Amino acid sequence: MRMTGLFGVSAQFRGRIEAQREPLYRLAYSWCHDAGLADDLVQETLLRALDRAGQLNDPQRLKSWLCAILANCLKDHFRRARPLQPLDEEMPAPGETPEGASASNQVAVRVRAEIERLPLGQRQTVTLVDLEGFSYAEVAEILEVPVGTVMSRLCRAREALRSRLIDFAAQENYKIRSIR
Amino acid sequence: MSHDEKVSREMQNAFVDGQLDAADWTLLVERMGSDEALRREVCELRTLKDLTRSAYAGAHSGRAAPAPERARWARVAAVALVFALTGWLAHDALAPGRILTELRGVAADRILVHIASSRGEVVDPALQEVEDYLSEARAAGRQVRVEIVANNTGMDILRANTSAYAARLERLRAAYPNLTYIACNQTADRLREKGAQVKLLPGVQVAPTALDEIVKRMQEGWVYIRA
Repeated sequence: MRMTGLFGVSAQFRGRIEAQREPLYRLAYSWCHDAGLADDLVQETLLRALDRAGQLNDPQRLKSWLCAILANCLKDHFRRARPLQPLDEEMPAPGETPEGASASNQVAVRVRAEIERLPLGQRQTVTLVDLEGFSYAEVAEILEVPVGTVMSRLCRAREALRSRLIDFAAQENYKIRSIR
Repeated sequence: MSHDEKVSREMQNAFVDGQLDAADWTLLVERMGSDEALRREVCELRTLKDLTRSAYAGAHSGRAAPAPERARWARVAAVALVFALTGWLAHDALAPGRILTELRGVAADRILVHIASSRGEVVDPALQEVEDYLSEARAAGRQVRVEIVANNTGMDILRANTSAYAARLERLRAAYPNLTYIACNQTADRLREKGAQVKLLPGVQVAPTALDEIVKRMQEGWVYIRA
């Protein structure tokens, strides 16, 4: 990072960027499911944002701009660490299983595990829409793909989640209701 | 989307993600009123969306993501039952598109009126019907509750610096303590992101999203009407 970049950034801008740390972390975590890596990615994102503050032409689009930087940071990480995971290749089931989790977070563990199994492109799309509430057009811009791709990825992601989670959710509902 | 066109998965997703325009939104809700399978599919998508949100709600920087609250899961899972057991619309006479013309004849005592547009032809009859309904219920000694939930451009009527109905809403609120105004926080956030100042009228309450409030009230047995 160029240190000169920091001196040109106002305290207000730094504050606005810092305020996005938690949402960015949540998103990064949902993409990589590694707490340490998510922290690193967010840190790198914030640093790049400070360094490139002049590139943000529209301050109202700060959040989507930061998410686009985060997506690029993840790409760079994969390039450095290991071969890039194909965007449409499904991941094997993760090692953590609901049986290994406590009853109180069993549902969260299961849902995260199924999201982790999604191909990266679908995972990013569904979490940008569901966690951060971005419009399809905004997601297309963040991930640099056509809107049609966003819609098709979202459809495939939710179809996969539906097939794996709906029965589980219904079962969970039964358990919750039964202990009332 | 036409009346006869099959509702695609893309369309269903766009519905639960708030990506449809008002016309398609209304058509899809109408279709859901008579199509149980569609209602179930949309309900499942909504449940998946809530599951995803909740799964990461407790993820915080610098430490392992904690477990979400159990009560939240109970609510998420129960959403499916709302649609499965009560249906999207709780009263046949209140099919979308009829606006509020039959509101006064409704026997239900808890009614949610959803206003998603600030256009006069939407807001004016809605407020008039709500006022007439409340007035007649009071005269008849009926204990009723009405909630007006606003989102999208409908939020403008609840904003101090944009509302063309501020005085009327304040007068109604003063006259009827059983009338509540609810603003959609998601709409408010989007307005703020665009640089708009969001100052709500006195007494206006805030829900995370309009859809959350609607689902919650339907779950509690309220009648839903889209103005």
